[in-house]
Amino acid sequence: MSVAELKERHIAATATVNSLRERLKQRRQLLLDTDVAAYAKSQGRSAISFSTTDLICCRTLQGHTGKVYSLDWTPERNRIVSASQDGRLIVWNALTSQKTHAIKLQCPWVMTCAFAPNGQSVACGGLDSACSIFNLNSQVDRDGNIPVSRILTGHKGYVYSCQYVPDQETRLITSSGDQTCVLWDVTTGQRISVFGGEFPSGHTADVLSVSINSSNSNMFVSGSCDMTARLWDTRIASRAVGTYHGHQGDVNTVKFFPDGQRFGTGSDDSTCRLYDMRTGHQLQVYSQQHEGDDNDVPIVTSIAFSISGRLLFAGYSSGDCYVWDTLMAEVVLNLGTFQNSHEARISCLGLSSDGSALCTGSWDKNLKIWAFGGHRKVI
Amino acid sequence: MDRRRMVVLSAAESADYSFADEYKGPPLPYDIPHAVPIDVDRIPLAAVAPVSAALPDLPVVHPLPSPSSSPLKKPPPPHVTPAPPLPAASPTSVIENRAAMDRPGAEVSGALGSFGFPDRSTDLSEVVDSSGAIGFSDELGDGAAWSNEMMPNRLSTESALSSEFSFRSSASGDGDEDEAVALQAKKALLVTFQESGQSSCCMSPAVGVTPRARSEDLEMKIKKGACHRCLKGSRFTEKETCLVCDAKYCSGCVLRAMGSMPEGRKCISCIGFPILESNRERLGRSSRVLKKLLSSREVQLVMKAEKDCEANQLRPEDICVNGTKLSLEEMVLLQSCSCPPNLKPGLYWYDKVSGYWGKEGHKPDRIITPHLNVGGTLMRNASNGNTGILINGREITKVELQMLKWAGVHCAGNPHFWLNADGTYLEEGQKNVKGQIWEKPIMKLLCPVLSLPFPSKVANEVNNLFNRAVPDCFDTKALQKLLLVGHHESGTSTIFKQAKFLYSSVPFSEDEREDIKLMIQTSIYNYLAILLEGRERFEEESLDEQRDKQHLDSSGDVAFGKQNKVTEYSISPRLRAFSDWLLKIMASGNLEAIFPAATREYAPLVEELWKDSAIQATYSRRNELQSLPSYASYFLERVVDISRAEYEPSDMDILCADGINSSNGVAYTDFQFPCLACVGSSIDDDDQQEALLRYQLIRVHTMGLGENCKWLGMFEDVRIVIFCVAITDYDEYYEDANGMVRNKMMESRRIFEGIASHPTFEQMDFLLILSKIDLLDQKMDMAPLTLCDWFDDYNPVVSYHPHNKDRRGAQIGATKAQQAFHYTAVKFKRLFFSITGRKLYVAQANGLDGDSVDAALRYAKEIVKWEERLVCDILESMYGTEPSSYSH
Repeated sequence: MSVAELKERHIAATATVNSLRERLKQRRQLLLDTDVAAYAKSQGRSAISFSTTDLICCRTLQGHTGKVYSLDWTPERNRIVSASQDGRLIVWNALTSQKTHAIKLQCPWVMTCAFAPNGQSVACGGLDSACSIFNLNSQVDRDGNIPVSRILTGHKGYVYSCQYVPDQETRLITSSGDQTCVLWDVTTGQRISVFGGEFPSGHTADVLSVSINSSNSNMFVSGSCDMTARLWDTRIASRAVGTYHGHQGDVNTVKFFPDGQRFGTGSDDSTCRLYDMRTGHQLQVYSQQHEGDDNDVPIVTSIAFSISGRLLFAGYSSGDCYVWDTLMAEVVLNLGTFQNSHEARISCLGLSSDGSALCTGSWDKNLKIWAFGGHRKVI
Repeated sequence: MDRRRMVVLSAAESADYSFADEYKGPPLPYDIPHAVPIDVDRIPLAAVAPVSAALPDLPVVHPLPSPSSSPLKKPPPPHVTPAPPLPAASPTSVIENRAAMDRPGAEVSGALGSFGFPDRSTDLSEVVDSSGAIGFSDELGDGAAWSNEMMPNRLSTESALSSEFSFRSSASGDGDEDEAVALQAKKALLVTFQESGQSSCCMSPAVGVTPRARSEDLEMKIKKGACHRCLKGSRFTEKETCLVCDAKYCSGCVLRAMGSMPEGRKCISCIGFPILESNRERLGRSSRVLKKLLSSREVQLVMKAEKDCEANQLRPEDICVNGTKLSLEEMVLLQSCSCPPNLKPGLYWYDKVSGYWGKEGHKPDRIITPHLNVGGTLMRNASNGNTGILINGREITKVELQMLKWAGVHCAGNPHFWLNADGTYLEEGQKNVKGQIWEKPIMKLLCPVLSLPFPSKVANEVNNLFNRAVPDCFDTKALQKLLLVGHHESGTSTIFKQAKFLYSSVPFSEDEREDIKLMIQTSIYNYLAILLEGRERFEEESLDEQRDKQHLDSSGDVAFGKQNKVTEYSISPRLRAFSDWLLKIMASGNLEAIFPAATREYAPLVEELWKDSAIQATYSRRNELQSLPSYASYFLERVVDISRAEYEPSDMDILCADGINSSNGVAYTDFQFPCLACVGSSIDDDDQQEALLRYQLIRVHTMGLGENCKWLGMFEDVRIVIFCVAITDYDEYYEDANGMVRNKMMESRRIFEGIASHPTFEQMDFLLILSKIDLLDQKMDMAPLTLCDWFDDYNPVVSYHPHNKDRRGAQIGATKAQQAFHYTAVKFKRLFFSITGRKLYVAQANGLDGDSVDAALRYAKEIVKWEERLVCDILESMYGTEPSSYSH
């Protein structure tokens, strides 16, 4: 079979796939008679009432001299690692707001950082297309820097996101501008599997975010500039388990719902969405009407679910941080309107593992820790 | 004019007065009128004075010396005079008094003495204020004209203007003003208004007093704890201190005394002078007074200016190490080492071997990082010791001798030691290490007893990054970042590599070369695969042709036709197997996986393949292979060499290779422009300054550029964006992810639009480099520029008078390539203007020619410099001429 013939077939096949996809979309539309909020309303539920003192900023972590791009909590001890444009990773004690480590990076253009499940090492990645691992216990060198303990190379584009597999110390998943996600073995520095790329059903644009299912660590979801989120099984690298359409802009962030059956996304189109993993349906859109023209709608940069899943925290480029009631799709609180809120884009946020505190990082160089005040402890 | 008014007026403090000084300029042919301001409300009344007249111990506060009294008169001794009763309170008499005050000399003090009553302090502040304002008429030669204008309607103008200029004193967070202050803080040049008499005082040549000396002079006269300006307040009122002369000002006077603080908290007269060393600690730490007066953004700006401005930096020439004055680099080195000394101006000695550091003539003060290349050689008498024992050539002091004894070092016979940084010591001229001084744990306790330093373990200072980071000002000022971006194959990587070859002594490390070697080898297999794919296509085509021919002359023998299945593009089965394998690997996309093993195994096969006539035949038709890049032939010609394992890429190979590193990551290199001035005999100050500037060229791969550009925000601190476009792209096409064929020039344009309109680069300067200009001439002959949709209106003026090559003809006679270059440049300039409304700079370069890249990068440097100057000129003109525009 000649090359030209193959190409023709390929084009024909692509057209078929596209038409099928369109039909699938229409069919889904047809089947989707209601969304979560409408159903909850019909059941007589009402939104959580939140007063301004229920969630208060109790710590401001100051120390970065550049925009904060990413943060991550340790699973058990209350520590946070943050990555900033000043080319440093800082490990904070969230309770005392002290810095326990500061790591100067080779490449200052860092985009993401992650804590290992055991809290002994941190990983970061950025424009150098590599993921660097630092062991927090290793001896500092003459200049007081922690040496890199391993560099994971192999990506062909910037590393925009990384996350450790929760129950495996040595596994790490990164997502990159080369349209792939990679599962790494940290101890050997080898790629275990590559998701997407040359294989069909991979992302067709930069992959910006990954989130690993906490109840089944073989499953993870990725969000990409191709406006889709995809679900992957780490045991089957050859194809995505599912592809979730719906967003009108780049999917900047994905996060699994605490029950592991759903996941949320945040996008450039200023909306957050909730997808059901098994049916592939979009359950709910969380969007606010924005007055003014389309050009300055704030984009969703980062999201997190509360421990019960009832609340969705979403950081926006406008510096707002909405707290959504996931059931009623209503904004119950805006942390951006508080007296001591961030002054610039919120770039990252994360909930501590016990759900008692939220940490937000911003382009105003600070991180803030918010905790539930009053009678509530955890929602 | 406005500037002067500004000084005079203020709404918040009605106590402020001003009047013209006696004219001191060159003699004028006409009479100069004396202007005396008047404010009916503030006329001092005589009635208050006599009450205290009888008191024997009346404190007299002496006024500031009038700046007009030059050379400075000694202030009158603080004698107590029973105050003479003032004349009857009539406005005219006051005017007379004031007029008298204007005159320099003894008259001033006499006149002031009469106002010097404790309960008339407001009047005194008036006096001080007015004396502060006096300077203008003699500073600005046209003072006479001013007083002329001001005199008749003095009162009315004041009230009108004071409201107009009230913004200076009422420091609210109003937007305009924010901006105003921000602008002021930027440049020292702008501080021309708000000048007080003091500044004119030090400007006048007759007075050779530094602000410091003068402030001491003043201090004697100012009551302790009082504000230096209004002379009010006690030591408990919150005050701000000038970093240079230590003058203290209360919150009401700070802004007037310090103006817009272009160099931080300094009296206006002290601007440009180095700060007091004792105040260095305070640099950049704002005070409560300032926070009360200014908005937080303003405070931030002022503090930044204070920290970063040149006059406030430690001057390297003030520090002498081992008898040699430091250079800037040496000082930076000292400040940024892991155990830096506490640097203050003075004479120091430094023992490079052991790291000992001390004041000249004194025992060691601390142990800093050893082996820093700083200062001259250590002198024997550096610490003024007299024990006869030498450590690293320095005669040690008695205390050190004591320490050596405690450390168990035998010091009989005045030995000469070599002491290393790790504490090992040996005798001069011998090889065997005699011991370790620091090894005894007790030494750590004993050293402080003798007040001698003990080496701090670097390992102990865990993560002391925050203390030892390089001072901010060096970071931000000296490193200018240039961002280099462009579409794939636009020549960015070649320019980057060329810059590395041009400016750094070791352009590529071993690892980098190894990486590049792998890259070249990978790409050569890639090119081969393209050739093989082409070969298959050509083979099929020629087979088809043959078949057609056979059909035409069907009389031909069938067997003959079968035999004829072999075309010139056919290859042997063995090579076919290799070819299939390679194409399969290419299709699966993990070509990298077979490296570097492939180089060892397949080198002979590659050689055989390359020499095969079929491949050569295909190669000769390479123009028909769209996906084969133009520079591939450079490598393909030498494919046999390159595919060998022992291949070492030459510099030229590195330049021509596609990309910089295999990971496509960001690449950056720090460099300095080598001084061009070696041609001329003298290097002016500007050039020297420039030589210190370090530049960082950052090259980013364009993957993911365009609308989904997530990371451009990370480069907000670059000074200029250098956008690269290969000018030969106008007729080249590529296939994008969706299988669409796109014109590369249009794609470059799309990316350019995306970057230029990106909010991060709103005020950024852009330099467009049109690269591959050397290839344009040839190409223009084969393909007209109009092939690209964007350039369809290209209609060059063709000179019909080639013989007429005089001055005018030169322009018309420009080569086709030059014309095309100018046309493209204008196209991009218009596009840029339509997006941003600003000017786009354009340069041309040929990545393989070092000089052209050097020229383009120097052009970028000049733009940065020029824009900097332009901005401050604009600001100055805005400020100098029409400050009132901010009050509306």
